[in-house]
Amino acid sequence: MYVAAKVDENKCNGCKLCIWSCPDPNVIILHPNKKVSINQSRCKGCGLCVIACKREALSIDS
Amino acid sequence: MKSDLWQISPGFEEVMPAEYRELVDNGPFGKKLGVADMGTFKELLEEHPLCAGCGLALSLRLTLIALPNPEDTIIVGATGCSSLAFPQVSVHNIHSLFGNQNAVATGLKRALSLRFPGQVKDVVVIAGDGATCDIGLEAVVHSWFRGEKLATIMLDNEAYANTGGQESGMSRIGTVLNMAPQGKKFSKVNFPEIAKAAGCAYVAVAEPSRPKRLEQAVRRAILVAREIGPAYVQLFTPCPTNYKFKPSETLSLIKKREQEGVFQTMEYLSPEAEAYIKQIEEAKR
Repeated sequence: MYVAAKVDENKCNGCKLCIWSCPDPNVIILHPNKKVSINQSRCKGCGLCVIACKREALSIDS
Repeated sequence: MKSDLWQISPGFEEVMPAEYRELVDNGPFGKKLGVADMGTFKELLEEHPLCAGCGLALSLRLTLIALPNPEDTIIVGATGCSSLAFPQVSVHNIHSLFGNQNAVATGLKRALSLRFPGQVKDVVVIAGDGATCDIGLEAVVHSWFRGEKLATIMLDNEAYANTGGQESGMSRIGTVLNMAPQGKKFSKVNFPEIAKAAGCAYVAVAEPSRPKRLEQAVRRAILVAREIGPAYVQLFTPCPTNYKFKPSETLSLIKKREQEGVFQTMEYLSPEAEAYIKQIEEAKR
Protein backbone atom coordinates (compact mmCIF):
# COMPACT_ATOMS: atom_id res chain seq x y z
CA MET A 1 0.00 0.00 0.00
CA TYR A 2 1.46 3.36 -1.00
CA VAL A 3 0.22 6.46 0.78
CA ALA A 4 0.49 9.98 -0.61
CA ALA A 5 -1.25 13.32 -0.14
CA LYS A 6 -3.64 14.77 -2.73
CA VAL A 7 -4.73 18.35 -3.36
CA ASP A 8 -8.23 19.61 -4.06
CA GLU A 9 -7.39 22.52 -6.38
CA ASN A 10 -10.74 24.21 -5.83
CA LYS A 11 -10.09 24.63 -2.12
CA CYS A 12 -6.37 25.58 -2.31
CA ASN A 13 -5.58 29.28 -1.99
CA GLY A 14 -1.77 29.09 -2.03
CA CYS A 15 -1.16 30.02 1.63
CA LYS A 16 1.97 27.79 1.76
CA LEU A 17 1.20 26.34 5.22
CA CYS A 18 1.60 22.85 3.73
CA ILE A 19 4.97 23.74 2.21
CA TRP A 20 6.21 25.03 5.56
CA SER A 21 5.16 21.84 7.34
CA CYS A 22 6.53 19.26 4.89
CA PRO A 23 9.75 17.58 6.09
CA ASP A 24 10.73 16.58 2.57
CA PRO A 25 12.11 19.10 0.10
CA ASN A 26 10.72 19.74 -3.37
CA VAL A 27 7.59 17.62 -2.74
CA ILE A 28 4.96 20.37 -2.60
CA ILE A 29 5.42 22.90 -5.38
CA LEU A 30 3.71 26.28 -5.61
CA HIS A 31 2.67 27.24 -9.13
CA PRO A 32 2.36 30.81 -10.41
CA ASN A 33 -1.46 30.50 -10.32
CA LYS A 34 -1.26 30.17 -6.47
CA LYS A 35 -2.16 26.50 -6.38
CA VAL A 36 0.05 23.77 -4.98
CA SER A 37 0.74 20.40 -6.50
CA ILE A 38 2.26 17.33 -4.87
CA ASN A 39 4.97 15.17 -6.35
CA GLN A 40 3.26 11.84 -5.64
CA SER A 41 6.37 9.75 -6.17
CA ARG A 42 8.28 11.63 -3.46
CA CYS A 43 5.55 12.09 -0.84
CA LYS A 44 6.17 9.85 2.19
CA GLY A 45 2.58 10.19 3.39
CA CYS A 46 3.25 11.51 6.90
CA GLY A 47 0.14 13.72 6.88
CA LEU A 48 1.69 16.86 8.38
CA CYS A 49 0.38 18.97 5.48
CA VAL A 50 -3.15 17.60 5.95
CA ILE A 51 -3.17 18.83 9.57
CA ALA A 52 -1.52 22.15 8.64
CA CYS A 53 -4.07 23.03 5.91
CA LYS A 54 -6.80 25.25 7.31
CA ARG A 55 -9.06 24.94 4.25
CA GLU A 56 -9.02 21.13 4.22
CA ALA A 57 -7.74 21.13 0.68
CA LEU A 58 -5.34 18.24 1.28
CA SER A 59 -6.27 14.67 1.96
CA ILE A 60 -4.30 11.50 2.43
CA ASP A 61 -5.39 8.10 1.21
CA SER A 62 -3.95 5.02 -0.35
CA MET B 1 32.07 33.11 -4.65
CA LYS B 2 31.91 33.81 -8.36
CA SER B 3 28.49 33.18 -9.83
CA ASP B 4 29.85 30.96 -12.61
CA LEU B 5 31.33 28.37 -10.25
CA TRP B 6 28.17 26.30 -10.00
CA GLN B 7 27.38 26.50 -13.71
CA ILE B 8 27.81 23.39 -15.86
CA SER B 9 30.70 23.49 -18.34
CA PRO B 10 29.52 23.77 -21.97
CA GLY B 11 28.88 20.37 -23.55
CA PHE B 12 28.23 18.60 -20.25
CA GLU B 13 24.59 19.65 -19.73
CA GLU B 14 23.13 16.35 -20.89
CA VAL B 15 25.32 14.05 -18.82
CA MET B 16 24.75 15.87 -15.52
CA PRO B 17 22.05 14.45 -13.21
CA ALA B 18 18.60 16.03 -13.48
CA GLU B 19 18.77 17.29 -9.87
CA TYR B 20 22.01 19.15 -10.60
CA ARG B 21 20.55 20.78 -13.70
CA GLU B 22 17.50 21.88 -11.70
CA LEU B 23 19.81 23.36 -9.08
CA VAL B 24 21.70 25.36 -11.71
CA ASP B 25 18.54 26.58 -13.45
CA ASN B 26 16.33 27.22 -10.45
CA GLY B 27 18.55 27.01 -7.36
CA PRO B 28 18.84 29.54 -4.51
CA PHE B 29 22.50 30.47 -5.08
CA GLY B 30 23.08 34.19 -5.21
CA LYS B 31 19.38 35.05 -5.06
CA LYS B 32 18.84 35.89 -1.35
CA LEU B 33 15.74 33.72 -1.01
CA GLY B 34 14.06 32.88 2.26
CA VAL B 35 11.27 30.91 3.88
CA ALA B 36 8.67 33.18 2.26
CA ASP B 37 9.76 32.00 -1.22
CA MET B 38 9.53 28.28 -0.44
CA GLY B 39 7.94 26.05 -3.05
CA THR B 40 9.06 28.21 -5.94
CA PHE B 41 12.73 27.22 -6.19
CA LYS B 42 14.87 24.11 -6.05
CA GLU B 43 15.95 23.53 -2.48
CA LEU B 44 19.44 22.72 -1.27
CA LEU B 45 18.27 19.47 0.29
CA GLU B 46 17.44 16.59 -2.02
CA GLU B 47 15.27 13.52 -1.34
CA HIS B 48 16.59 12.22 1.99
CA PRO B 49 16.23 8.90 3.85
CA LEU B 50 14.83 10.27 7.11
CA CYS B 51 11.47 8.99 8.43
CA ALA B 52 8.09 10.32 7.37
CA GLY B 53 7.03 13.19 9.61
CA CYS B 54 10.56 13.73 10.96
CA GLY B 55 10.82 17.05 12.81
CA LEU B 56 14.58 16.99 12.33
CA ALA B 57 14.23 16.80 8.55
CA LEU B 58 11.83 19.74 8.56
CA SER B 59 14.18 21.80 10.74
CA LEU B 60 17.16 20.91 8.57
CA ARG B 61 15.23 21.92 5.46
CA LEU B 62 14.22 25.27 6.97
CA THR B 63 17.76 25.85 8.28
CA LEU B 64 19.25 25.32 4.83
CA ILE B 65 16.77 27.77 3.32
CA ALA B 66 17.56 30.30 6.04
CA LEU B 67 21.30 30.32 5.28
CA PRO B 68 22.03 33.96 4.34
CA ASN B 69 24.84 33.08 1.94
CA PRO B 70 24.63 29.39 0.91
CA GLU B 71 27.34 29.58 -1.76
CA ASP B 72 29.94 30.66 0.81
CA THR B 73 28.81 28.43 3.64
CA ILE B 74 30.48 25.27 4.88
CA ILE B 75 28.51 22.96 7.13
CA VAL B 76 30.25 20.76 9.66
CA GLY B 77 28.06 17.82 10.58
CA ALA B 78 28.27 15.10 13.17
CA THR B 79 27.11 11.51 13.41
CA GLY B 80 23.41 11.13 14.06
CA CYS B 81 20.13 11.31 12.20
CA SER B 82 21.17 14.59 10.56
CA SER B 83 24.28 12.94 9.08
CA LEU B 84 22.01 10.60 7.08
CA ALA B 85 20.69 13.66 5.22
CA PHE B 86 24.01 15.42 4.63
CA PRO B 87 25.00 13.45 1.51
CA GLN B 88 21.87 14.95 -0.08
CA VAL B 89 22.76 18.55 0.84
CA SER B 90 24.20 20.69 -1.94
CA VAL B 91 26.31 22.88 0.35
CA HIS B 92 29.92 22.01 1.17
CA ASN B 93 29.84 19.81 4.21
CA ILE B 94 32.29 17.91 6.33
CA HIS B 95 31.65 14.85 8.44
CA SER B 96 34.28 14.00 11.03
CA LEU B 97 34.35 11.96 14.22
CA PHE B 98 31.40 11.87 16.58
CA GLY B 99 31.63 14.87 18.87
CA ASN B 100 34.57 16.81 17.43
CA GLN B 101 32.49 18.92 15.03
CA ASN B 102 33.28 22.23 16.75
CA ALA B 103 37.00 21.45 16.85
CA VAL B 104 36.96 20.71 13.11
CA ALA B 105 34.96 23.88 12.48
CA THR B 106 37.46 25.93 14.51
CA GLY B 107 40.36 24.86 12.33
CA LEU B 108 38.31 25.36 9.20
CA LYS B 109 37.25 28.86 10.16
CA ARG B 110 40.83 29.87 11.01
CA ALA B 111 42.16 28.42 7.75
CA LEU B 112 39.46 30.18 5.72
CA SER B 113 40.18 33.53 7.36
CA LEU B 114 43.86 33.13 6.41
CA ARG B 115 43.19 31.92 2.87
CA PHE B 116 40.39 34.39 2.06
CA PRO B 117 41.02 37.48 4.20
CA GLY B 118 38.22 40.04 3.98
CA GLN B 119 35.75 37.63 2.37
CA VAL B 120 32.62 36.31 4.03
CA LYS B 121 32.92 32.59 4.73
CA ASP B 122 30.37 31.15 7.11
CA VAL B 123 31.14 27.98 9.02
CA VAL B 124 27.97 26.47 10.46
CA VAL B 125 27.91 23.45 12.76
CA ILE B 126 24.73 21.40 12.48
CA ALA B 127 24.66 18.48 14.89
CA GLY B 128 22.23 16.48 16.93
CA ASP B 129 21.71 16.66 20.67
CA GLY B 130 23.98 13.67 21.32
CA ALA B 131 26.88 15.20 19.43
CA THR B 132 26.44 18.65 20.97
CA CYS B 133 25.40 18.06 24.56
CA ASP B 134 26.73 14.59 25.43
CA ILE B 135 29.62 13.25 23.40
CA GLY B 136 30.93 16.51 21.95
CA LEU B 137 30.29 18.66 25.00
CA GLU B 138 33.97 19.36 25.60
CA ALA B 139 34.69 20.46 22.02
CA VAL B 140 31.52 22.54 21.82
CA VAL B 141 31.89 24.37 25.13
CA HIS B 142 35.61 24.97 24.63
CA SER B 143 35.00 26.50 21.20
CA TRP B 144 32.69 28.96 22.98
CA PHE B 145 35.26 29.63 25.73
CA ARG B 146 37.79 30.51 23.04
CA GLY B 147 35.29 32.82 21.35
CA GLU B 148 35.51 31.12 17.97
CA LYS B 149 33.24 32.78 15.42
CA LEU B 150 31.04 29.77 14.67
CA ALA B 151 27.29 29.26 14.51
CA THR B 152 26.36 26.04 16.32
CA ILE B 153 22.91 24.66 15.56
CA MET B 154 21.60 21.80 17.65
CA LEU B 155 18.79 19.65 16.24
CA ASP B 156 17.32 18.48 19.52
CA ASN B 157 15.20 15.35 19.06
CA GLU B 158 15.66 14.36 22.71
CA ALA B 159 17.10 10.90 22.00
CA TYR B 160 19.76 8.93 20.15
CA ALA B 161 17.26 8.23 17.42
CA ASN B 162 19.13 6.34 14.71
CA THR B 163 20.68 3.75 17.01
CA GLY B 164 17.36 2.50 18.35
CA GLY B 165 16.34 5.08 20.94
CA GLN B 166 18.73 5.54 23.86
CA GLU B 167 18.20 8.42 26.28
CA SER B 168 20.39 11.48 25.77
CA GLY B 169 21.20 14.35 28.07
CA MET B 170 18.49 16.37 26.37
CA SER B 171 15.71 13.83 27.01
CA ARG B 172 13.18 14.93 29.57
CA ILE B 173 13.05 13.32 33.01
CA GLY B 174 11.01 10.11 33.06
CA THR B 175 11.26 9.55 29.30
CA VAL B 176 10.80 5.88 28.41
CA LEU B 177 12.41 4.83 25.14
CA ASN B 178 13.17 1.50 23.48
CA MET B 179 16.62 1.31 25.02
CA ALA B 180 15.74 3.23 28.20
CA PRO B 181 12.92 1.09 29.64
CA GLN B 182 13.23 2.33 33.23
CA GLY B 183 12.80 5.98 32.30
CA LYS B 184 15.37 8.73 32.44
CA LYS B 185 16.59 9.52 35.93
CA PHE B 186 17.73 13.16 35.65
CA SER B 187 16.18 16.22 34.06
CA LYS B 188 16.82 17.79 30.66
CA VAL B 189 20.08 19.72 30.46
CA ASN B 190 19.45 23.46 30.25
CA PHE B 191 21.86 23.93 27.38
CA PRO B 192 20.89 27.49 26.34
CA GLU B 193 21.91 28.71 29.82
CA ILE B 194 25.23 26.86 29.51
CA ALA B 195 25.75 28.59 26.14
CA LYS B 196 25.05 31.99 27.68
CA ALA B 197 27.44 31.35 30.55
CA ALA B 198 30.13 30.02 28.17
CA GLY B 199 30.19 33.30 26.29
CA CYS B 200 27.86 32.94 23.30
CA ALA B 201 26.91 36.32 21.86
CA TYR B 202 23.64 34.97 20.48
CA VAL B 203 21.51 32.16 21.93
CA ALA B 204 18.10 31.16 20.61
CA VAL B 205 15.64 28.31 21.04
CA ALA B 206 13.26 27.85 18.10
CA GLU B 207 11.00 25.19 16.62
CA PRO B 208 9.88 24.34 13.07
CA SER B 209 6.16 25.05 13.48
CA ARG B 210 6.96 28.78 13.21
CA PRO B 211 9.28 28.80 10.18
CA LYS B 212 9.79 32.57 10.05
CA ARG B 213 11.05 32.70 13.61
CA LEU B 214 13.33 29.75 12.93
CA GLU B 215 14.66 31.56 9.88
CA GLN B 216 15.24 34.72 11.90
CA ALA B 217 17.08 32.80 14.62
CA VAL B 218 19.36 30.99 12.14
CA ARG B 219 20.09 34.15 10.14
CA ARG B 220 20.86 36.21 13.20
CA ALA B 221 23.10 33.46 14.57
CA ILE B 222 25.13 33.32 11.36
CA LEU B 223 25.38 37.13 11.11
CA VAL B 224 26.49 37.41 14.74
CA ALA B 225 29.01 34.61 14.19
CA ARG B 226 30.55 36.56 11.31
CA GLU B 227 31.48 39.60 13.37
CA ILE B 228 30.87 39.34 17.10
CA GLY B 229 31.45 35.85 18.47
CA PRO B 230 30.00 32.36 18.93
CA ALA B 231 26.28 31.81 18.39
CA TYR B 232 24.07 28.93 19.45
CA VAL B 233 20.62 27.93 18.17
CA GLN B 234 18.65 25.04 19.60
CA LEU B 235 15.85 23.64 17.44
CA PHE B 236 13.26 21.37 19.02
CA THR B 237 12.61 18.55 16.54
CA PRO B 238 10.30 15.81 17.87
CA CYS B 239 10.98 12.24 16.71
CA PRO B 240 7.85 10.24 15.82
CA THR B 241 9.73 6.97 15.42
CA ASN B 242 11.22 6.77 18.91
CA TYR B 243 8.59 8.69 20.86
CA LYS B 244 5.82 6.57 19.27
CA PHE B 245 3.40 9.20 18.08
CA LYS B 246 1.81 9.52 14.66
CA PRO B 247 4.01 11.20 12.03
CA SER B 248 1.26 13.74 11.38
CA GLU B 249 1.39 14.94 15.02
CA THR B 250 4.96 16.26 14.99
CA LEU B 251 4.01 19.93 14.82
CA SER B 252 0.95 19.66 17.07
CA LEU B 253 3.16 18.01 19.71
CA ILE B 254 5.34 21.11 19.81
CA LYS B 255 2.27 23.31 20.34
CA LYS B 256 0.99 20.94 23.03
CA ARG B 257 4.33 21.09 24.83
CA GLU B 258 4.21 24.88 24.66
CA GLN B 259 0.71 24.98 26.15
CA GLU B 260 1.80 22.66 28.95
CA GLY B 261 4.68 25.02 29.67
CA VAL B 262 7.45 22.42 29.33
CA PHE B 263 8.91 23.96 26.19
CA GLN B 264 9.36 27.60 25.35
CA THR B 265 11.23 29.52 22.71
CA MET B 266 13.72 32.18 23.77
CA GLU B 267 16.23 34.58 22.30
CA TYR B 268 19.22 36.20 23.96
CA LEU B 269 21.54 38.75 22.41
CA SER B 270 24.60 40.19 24.08
CA PRO B 271 24.65 44.03 24.01
CA GLU B 272 27.25 44.05 21.18
CA ALA B 273 25.26 41.53 19.14
CA GLU B 274 22.08 43.53 19.65
CA ALA B 275 23.72 46.72 18.39
CA TYR B 276 25.16 44.85 15.38
CA ILE B 277 21.84 43.21 14.44
CA LYS B 278 20.04 46.54 14.83
CA GLN B 279 22.58 48.20 12.55
CA ILE B 280 22.13 45.48 9.87
CA GLU B 281 18.34 45.53 10.03
CA GLU B 282 18.20 49.31 9.77
CA ALA B 283 20.54 49.24 6.77
CA LYS B 284 18.18 46.79 5.05
CA ARG B 285 15.28 49.21 5.33
